This record gives sequence, C-alpha cells and structure tokens, in this order.
Amino acid sequence: MTSVLARHGFLIIIAGFFAFFSIYNPVFMTFGNQLNIVEGSSILLILALGMTLVVAMGGIDLSVGIAFDIGAAFAVVALKEYGFAWPMACLVGVVGGVLVGLLNAFLVVGLKVSPFMATLGTFFIGSSIQRVFTNGGGPISYRQMPQGYRDLAVGDVFGIPTEIVIAAVVLIVYFIFLERSIWGKRIHAIGLQRSAANVAGIRVQRYMVVAFLVASATCAIGGLIGSANIRMFTPLAGFSYLLDAIAAVFIGASMHAKGRPNVIGTLVGVLFLGMIANGLNLMGLNFNLKDALSGLILVGALAFAVGQRRLR
Amino acid sequence: MTLTQPLTRRVIDSIPIAVFVALFLYIGLNSANFLTLATWELILKQAVPVVVVAVGLATVIVAGGDDVVSGGIDLSIPATATVCAAIIADQLTNHDTAVAVALILALGAAAVVGAVNATLVVRVGMTPLLATLATSVAVVGVTKVITESRRIGVSDATILFVRDGRIVGVPVSIVMMALIALAFWHLVHRTKWGMHLQATGGSRDAAEISGIATRRLVALSFMLAAFAGWLASVFVLARGSGSSPGTEETLLLEMVLATFLGAAFSPRRVVTVWGAVLGAVLVSALTVGFISIGINVFWTGCIKGALILLVVASAAAGRSQ
Repeated sequence: MTSVLARHGFLIIIAGFFAFFSIYNPVFMTFGNQLNIVEGSSILLILALGMTLVVAMGGIDLSVGIAFDIGAAFAVVALKEYGFAWPMACLVGVVGGVLVGLLNAFLVVGLKVSPFMATLGTFFIGSSIQRVFTNGGGPISYRQMPQGYRDLAVGDVFGIPTEIVIAAVVLIVYFIFLERSIWGKRIHAIGLQRSAANVAGIRVQRYMVVAFLVASATCAIGGLIGSANIRMFTPLAGFSYLLDAIAAVFIGASMHAKGRPNVIGTLVGVLFLGMIANGLNLMGLNFNLKDALSGLILVGALAFAVGQRRLR
Repeated sequence: MTLTQPLTRRVIDSIPIAVFVALFLYIGLNSANFLTLATWELILKQAVPVVVVAVGLATVIVAGGDDVVSGGIDLSIPATATVCAAIIADQLTNHDTAVAVALILALGAAAVVGAVNATLVVRVGMTPLLATLATSVAVVGVTKVITESRRIGVSDATILFVRDGRIVGVPVSIVMMALIALAFWHLVHRTKWGMHLQATGGSRDAAEISGIATRRLVALSFMLAAFAGWLASVFVLARGSGSSPGTEETLLLEMVLATFLGAAFSPRRVVTVWGAVLGAVLVSALTVGFISIGINVFWTGCIKGALILLVVASAAAGRSQ
C-alpha cells in the first residue's frame, strides 16, 4: 500500500488539483479548456524534452531559452529580410538552434567546462547578442508572414491544432530514441556513470556533442512556433520557459522508479504545470497573487515528488 | 604535485589574472577617469549588494561542494534580498513602521526562506539547485504580492545614511561591506566550525565518518545564505533608493558570475569568501570600465559571458594537466 502510494503519489496530487479546479469553476473540465491546456503546453513540452535529453546525459542546459530565441530570430529574419520560402525559413531557424548547441558542445566537450557554467555562459552571450542585434530588445515583427509559417501556431491537421501535432511528433521521436533504443540506453548510461560508460566503450564525447546539438535544435522548433503565434520575434522571450522546463524534467524524474529523467515523466510534469497555470487563471485571481501561488505550488509539488520517492 | 610545475600549467594558471590586468590596462589607457579614486569608490559602492550575496553563496558552496548540479548552490539569495527589500520598503513607506521593526520583519522572512531551503535539501533530499530555484520562483511571486509589481521609494534616514553617509571619509556601505566580508571570511576560513564546513564540502562521507554533523552544517549554511540575503536587502534599498521589481534577475547572474570567477583566482581553484569578494569587485569594475570607454552597454553581457567561460575553461584545463 505504501509503495503504491509512493509510486503514484504525484498522480494523486494531480487528480486532487484537477478535482479542485473543476469544482471551483466547471469551465475547467470542459473539453475545450482541456484542449487549451494541451495546446498551451506544446511549446514548453518541446523545450522540456530538449532539457530531458541533456539532464538524462548528466548535464543541464540553461540555454534552452537562447536556442528558442535564436531559432525564432533566424526564421523571422529569413522570412522578412531574405524572402525565404517558409519551409526553408524553418530550416534556417533550426540551424540557428544547432549553432547554439555547437557552442555548448564546444565548451563542455572541447574545453571541459561543466554544463552549468558552459550553458550559463552561452546564456549571457546569447542574451547580449540579441540585445545588440535588436538595439536593446525591440521586437522584430512581421505581420504579413506566409500563411504556411503562421499555420505552425494557428493551423490544424485534420482538426487537431498544428502546435499539438508538432509537439506530439517530437514527443514520439524522443520517446523512441531516448527510451526504446540503444542510443537512449547509452545516453542514460553516460548520465548515470560517465567513466563507466567510457570504459564500456561508449564514445562518450560524441554522444554528448550530439545530445547538445539535438536539444538546442529541438528548442529552436519551439521558437518557430512561438514566433509564428505572435507574428514577431521577441528578444529574450525564451527565458520564461527555462524554470518551467527544469521543473517539468525533475517532476518527471521523481515519478520514475529509479528517479531518472524520462520522456513520459516530462510530459506529465509539463501538463501539471499547464494545468496549474490554467486553473489559477480560471479562478480569476489577481495577477500577482497567481504568480505567488503557482510558485508556492511548484515548491510543494517538487518537495512532495522528490520526498515520496525516498519513501520507496 | 611537484615543486616545479610544468611551464604550460603555469601559463594556463595565470590566464585569468593576465586577462584582467590586460583589460584594466586597456580601459585605464583609454579613459582618463578610470584610474581615479572617485571611480573606484563608485565601483566599490556599486559592488556592495553583489559582494554580500556572493559571500553567502560562497558559504553554501563551501559546505556543499562546488559541483554546480549535485553540490551546494543557493540561487534564492537574490530573491531573498528582493523580498526583504520589498518588506522593508513597504513597511517604511506604506505603514510608517520604525526601521528596527521593519528590519526584524524582513529578517523573519529571510529566516523562513533559509529554513525552507534547508528542509528541502537536508530532509526532503532535493538537489540544492532544484530546491533553491523553486523557492526563488515562489519568493519572487510573494514579492509581487507585497509590492503589487510596483516600485516603492524609501526616504528613511537610516537607509539614506547607508546610501550617502561616510565614516572617516569612507562611504558607509563600503565599510559595512568590508565588515560583512571579514565576518564571513573569519567564520568560514578561520574557525573550527568553518573547518568542519570545508570538510563537509570536500567529502561528505569522510566528514560524516569523522563525526561531523554534516546535515546540521549544510542546513546552517543555507540559513547563513538567507542571512546574507537579508543583509544585502539594505544595500539594495540604499542603492536604488527603494525596492524595484526585477532586481533579483541581474543580482542572480552577477552573484553566480562573481562567485565562480573568484574560484579561478584561488590557488586550488575552489570557491572561497575572498574569491567571491574579489570576483564581485572585478565584475563591477569591468561594468563601470566599459561604460567609461563608451562600449555599447548591450555588449557587456557578451563580454562577461566570454570572460567567465575563459576563466572557467582555463581552470578546467589547469585541473586536467
């Protein structure tokens, strides 16, 4: 009984919040609102998956927001200034993300800087470049963007919002590679015990480089959707996803039997955060109070998630 | 360790210092005012809040080990400083409370943050990075409720004295900063308690076996960090003549930058209290220096980021030699 409670304790918390929000405001549990939550969580899910990959490998990526911004900036500039077709612009955006990943990989693998300090440095440099480029942080808007690009955020595929479809595809790809393939096993092995992985013949450095590149490219995809949604590139917009992405990954890890970061756990973490934000909104609370409450719930939820794992 | 270190090692070791000397020489040659007493007084005054939070962070890192992800770190100190500043400003300006009462209320808030951090890390078993990140978010949220996301000006005599006053010609804030740094240095590097703290950070298991109450020490280090946040709040208030929303973000980045930059200057490349002080002052000097030679302020972040990477990378290279 205790073990069941410990294993699924977090799901019980989620159910509790769900019930509370539903009773407080019946609109919360309508299908339309649930769809809102999922759609609103799409970008965070994409960034959190990139973060999951790096954390599974034993690192951390504080530059997910930078990759998000650079992806958005490259794509919007390619569309606006160079008149690229929208699929090409998307490609340019992803390449921008890869550049951020390259810098991280060079610092961590080449110069042996710890991932925290390396990605913090990338964060400083990336933020500063955005400020210089936009002359202090003014957005680059592009109202007449091609419909194809705009549809990344507002279109739908067979009635399902494109955002959700993209996030779902990224989720499935990550699940297959990280949880169901030999590459994923090796990534987890590196994260658990790097020197042992090295002795076992895994090309640790190559895997780390690829992981940083893939993670940043993934975050850039989030940037594409973000910029399509508001039809502009807003400098430093990605920063707001950083803490939520880290929180989602660790909530997910705490639900895993061995406390490992994992794709499904991250999905649950992201949806939990989305549900809290949506539910507090529907309660019609004052903006500042909402921020305080969601922060306190985050502390409580993380403490519970980590604490109950130790009970097992 | 050999007595005569290989030349490459010595060259790599001196990179951080060489870079800073070169930068200051360049700024000094290009700006007539940079190497004047008034400029350095400004640099020190600007550095005060960062110095105070950085010595708090250094204490936590000494107790927890310098691995950023699994070791000791406290990202909530700047948020603590901001919430304390908000409480003091709100009490003084909106409720006409006496300064002492306002300070005590803020100290209570800081103690709560420190206790929550300590509980999350020591009892619940969260990694300090995650625990303090989460409390930081919550504390920033609470700050917004107190200030309603507005600036609260302060015109209290005590706070203004910290801003403008002088003791034998030296600005009060600099004197207080020196005393605080000295106290933390003495506690961490010159007392038995500090030795135990360093042993805990060096090897938790070894310290445990030799009979040191490591859990209590780690918990206390988080309380001390929150205390540093409370101390810093007074300087934050004085520097800005009130509490402003968003102060914690720049303070956080500068604190981490200063503390880890400081490690590069210590002989064993470890985080120390003096290192943190030196790091904070150097960062402040660079910021002022860049402005004085007319570099676009938007580039400052880039230069700081590149600097810290250079310093940390040379430290990593020195270690693997």
